[in-house]
Amino acid sequence: MTALDNLLLISAVTLVIAVLAGNSRVGGWLVTIMYALQGAALMMMSGLGYSTLTMVQSSFSIEVLSQQLLWRFDALSWFFALITIGAGLFCSWFASGEWGEKYRDNGGSLRLFHGALALNVFSMLVLLASGDLLTLFIGWELVSWASFLIMALAGGKAFGYAMRYISYAFAGAMALLGGLLLIYAEVGSFDFQSLKEAVPTMSSATLWLLVVLLTAGFGVKMAILPFHLWQAKAYAETPGPGAAFLGAISSRMGLFAFIVVIVQLIGISRLVEMKIPFTFLDAQDLLAWIAVFTIIIPTYIALRQHDARRLLAWHGVGQTGYMLLGIVIANDLGSAGGLMHVFNYATYQAMLFMVVIAVIHRTGTSNLNKLGGLFTRMPLSYLAMLVGIIGLAGLPPMNGFVSKWLIYRSLIVDGSPLLFLGAVIGTLGTILSVYKLIHNIFLGQLRVEHVAVREAPLSMVIPMMLLAAVVFVTGYFPGLVLDWTSAVQASIGIPVLAHHLGGIDMKGGLDMIWIVSVLLVGFGFGTLVFFLGGRSKRVHQLDNYAGGHFLTAETRYHYSDNFYPGLMHLIGPWYRNSFEWLERGLISAVDTLSTAMQGLYRNAHPSYLLLAVVVFALSWVIV
Amino acid sequence: MNELDKIPVRQEISVAQGGAKRTNPLANVFDELVRFCQSRSMFMLHYCTGCGAIELPPAMTSRFDMERLGIQPMVTPRQADILLITGYVSVKTLKRIILTYEQMPAPKYVIGICSCTVNGGMYWQSYATAKVLREYIPVDIYIAGCMPRPEAVISGLRDLMGDIKSGRADNWKRYFQNYDHYLGNQQQLFGEDWQTPTDIIAEAEHYGLMTDQTLGEHTALLQKHQQPLEALEFSLGEKREKIQGEER
Repeated sequence: MTALDNLLLISAVTLVIAVLAGNSRVGGWLVTIMYALQGAALMMMSGLGYSTLTMVQSSFSIEVLSQQLLWRFDALSWFFALITIGAGLFCSWFASGEWGEKYRDNGGSLRLFHGALALNVFSMLVLLASGDLLTLFIGWELVSWASFLIMALAGGKAFGYAMRYISYAFAGAMALLGGLLLIYAEVGSFDFQSLKEAVPTMSSATLWLLVVLLTAGFGVKMAILPFHLWQAKAYAETPGPGAAFLGAISSRMGLFAFIVVIVQLIGISRLVEMKIPFTFLDAQDLLAWIAVFTIIIPTYIALRQHDARRLLAWHGVGQTGYMLLGIVIANDLGSAGGLMHVFNYATYQAMLFMVVIAVIHRTGTSNLNKLGGLFTRMPLSYLAMLVGIIGLAGLPPMNGFVSKWLIYRSLIVDGSPLLFLGAVIGTLGTILSVYKLIHNIFLGQLRVEHVAVREAPLSMVIPMMLLAAVVFVTGYFPGLVLDWTSAVQASIGIPVLAHHLGGIDMKGGLDMIWIVSVLLVGFGFGTLVFFLGGRSKRVHQLDNYAGGHFLTAETRYHYSDNFYPGLMHLIGPWYRNSFEWLERGLISAVDTLSTAMQGLYRNAHPSYLLLAVVVFALSWVIV
Repeated sequence: MNELDKIPVRQEISVAQGGAKRTNPLANVFDELVRFCQSRSMFMLHYCTGCGAIELPPAMTSRFDMERLGIQPMVTPRQADILLITGYVSVKTLKRIILTYEQMPAPKYVIGICSCTVNGGMYWQSYATAKVLREYIPVDIYIAGCMPRPEAVISGLRDLMGDIKSGRADNWKRYFQNYDHYLGNQQQLFGEDWQTPTDIIAEAEHYGLMTDQTLGEHTALLQKHQQPLEALEFSLGEKREKIQGEER
C-alpha cells in the first residue's frame, strides 16, 4: 500500500459513507471528517509539493491492449489534489449544518448531494493520478459524469443546463478521443514518455491537428472561448455548496490535462515553432489570445448579471483565462502566476459562493435587485465577501494580487503589451462587477423584509472565515504557495521561479510582507483615529441625505437595477449574444441534418433500396 | 427710510472681541490653531434654491477660484461645514433645508445669498415663500444683492472665515440653545406634526448646549408626535434566541 493507494482508498470510503449515511446529520459530519482524512493522506505525500519527492506510484495497475494502465501522483497532481480536497472539505462542512437540513426539508436528497460531491472528489483524484493517456481519458470521463450528476441534482432548469453541459462534454470527449487515437496511430503507445519522445519527429500538420483536437477537448471543460456558454448557468444552478465546489476546482481539471499533455509532453517551445501561415502568429500566440478573450468576454458578461450566483459563475469562466494565459506564456513568472491563480481563485471563489449561498439561506434570494443593506445583519458574511472580492479583483493585500501581478509581469517580460492590455481590461471588468456584487447585497438600504435577518449559522460562517484566513495569509506570505508552484514547475520542465516567503527575488520584484505591513500600519492608524476619536455617531438609514428628501421605508434609494448605466451606454451595443446565436445556428444545423437523415433512413429508404435494386438488376441484364 | 439704520453694519473684527478665551495660554494657542484650520478648510453644501446659484460656478471655477481660500463643494451634509442657500425659500424647500441643516455635524455655518433669504426679496408678496430665513435656522452671514456678484460671494465667505478665526461664528450653538424658538416658527409654518429624523434635543445634550430655552411648549408638542428612528445595530445572532423564544 503506497500513500496514493491510501488516498484513493479513503476517497472511495468517503464515497461509500456519503451514499450510505449522507442523509443523516451525523453522516454529513462523518463525510466532512473523511475529507479531512483525505487531506491528511495527501499530506503524507507532501514531499511532492516541496520537490523532495518526485513521484508516488499506485500499486494498482491493469493491462489493456498490452498497455500498462498506471496511476501515480507527481507535484502537479499533488497541487491540484490539495485544492480539490480542500474545496471538498469546506463545501461538505458548509453543507453538513443548517444548509443540509433546509435542503432536505425542501425535498432535496442530501444523500445524493453528499454522494455526488464525494464522487466528484474521487473521480478528480483518479484523473489527477492518471499515469498515461488512457487513464487520463478514463478519469476525464469519470469527472464529466460526476459533474453532470451534481449539476443535475436540482432538476428542472438545472437539468436543462446540465444536459447542455453534457452535450458539450461529449463533443469535447470525442475531440479528445480523436486526439488520443491520432497519438496511438503516430506513437503506437499511450505512454507519456513515448509521446514526449515522438513529438520532435512529428510533422507540423499532425501536430496542428493534435493540438487543435486536444485543446478543444480540454477547452470544453475549462470553458475557454468559444466553448464558454455552458458553464456559468450550469454551475450557478447547482445546489448550494455544490456550486462552490464546482466553481472552485471542477473546470480546473481541463487546465490540469492541458498542462500535462500540451505543456509537459508537447511543450510550449514546440508550439512556438508552429507558425500560422500568412500571419505573424504561432500556436502559442493563438492560445494566449484565446485566453485573453476568455478573460474579457465572460467578465463583461458577468457585469450584466442580476443573479449573484450567475455573476460569480461567469467570473469563473473569465478567471480561467488568466490561468491559461499565465501557463501558455510559460516563463518562470507566468506559469507560477497561472498555477498560483488556480489555488487563489479556488479559495476566494468557494468563499464568495458560500457567502451568496448563506445570503440565499437567510433571505431566500440571490437576485441582486432584491437585496441590500445586509451589512448590519450579516457582518461576518460581509467580511468574508469583502476579502473575497478584493482577492477576485486582484488587489493587495489578498492572494489574488500576487498571482495577477505575476501574470502581468510575465506579459511585460515576454514583451506582449497587447495581451497585457487585454488582461487589464478584464481586471477592470472584474473590479466593476465585484463592486456591484457587494454593493447590491451588503451595502445601501436594508429592505423592510430583511430587518429580521440574522447572521448565517456557524456551520456556514466557520468555513467562510477559514477560507478568508487562507486568502489573507497566502496574500501576506505568497511564498507558502509559491513553494508548491515551484515544485510543479520543476516537475513539468519549466524554469523555476526564484522566490522567498514574501514574494519574488528579482529586480523590481515583489515583497508582499512589506506591502501588506505598510497597508496594515496605515489601516491601523485610521482605525485608532476612528475608535479613539470617539466622535462618531450612528444614525438610522432613513436619516440620510437624498437631495433633502424625507426618506421612508417605502422609498427605495438603494440604486441597484441598471448598474453602471454610463458604461452600458458606451459598451451596451457590444453585447450581441453572438455566441448564443452561433450555438443556436449549430443546433439547428445539426437538427436539420438529423431530420434529413431520419427521413432518409425511416421513410425514404425502401424506395431508395428499390431503386438501387432495379438499377442493379437492369444493369446486370443489359450488361 | 430710517429702517436702514436698524440694519447692523459689520465692524472690522479683532481677535480681542472674539470668543471666550481660556486662561491656559497653551490651550489658547491650540484653540486658535483649531479655529485657523477650520477657517481654512470649508466644505460647502450648496442648497441651490433659486437664481443666486448661477453666480456660484464662476466663483468656484478658475476665474475667481474659491478653492485658493480652501473652500470646496461637498456632496453630503455629513461632511459639510457650510450650508449655502442661494435664493428664495419656498415653504416646501424650507422643510428640506431644515432637514439638511440638522444632518450637518457641528460646527456648521449657514450663508444666505441674495435678498430673498434676507426678507423675501422680489417674492415678498408670494404666499408660498418663507421670507426671513433666520427665523427658522440661525444664519451666520447674509450676502445681499439680487444677485450678488462672485466678488461679493467671496467677500462674504472671507467675512465668515474671519468670524471663524476669531471665534465669533457660533450661531450654530444658538439653534441648540434656542431650539424651542426655532421649532415654534417651524411648527407655525408646517403644522403641529412637523418633525425631522434628527433628534436635536439629544444632540444639544451631547454638545452640552442645553439651556432653559432649548425645551418649551413647542418641543413638548414635538415629543408628542415624534416617532424616533433607532440606528441599525450589528447583529450576530442574538435575534435568533429572541425569535426562538417567541416560538416556544
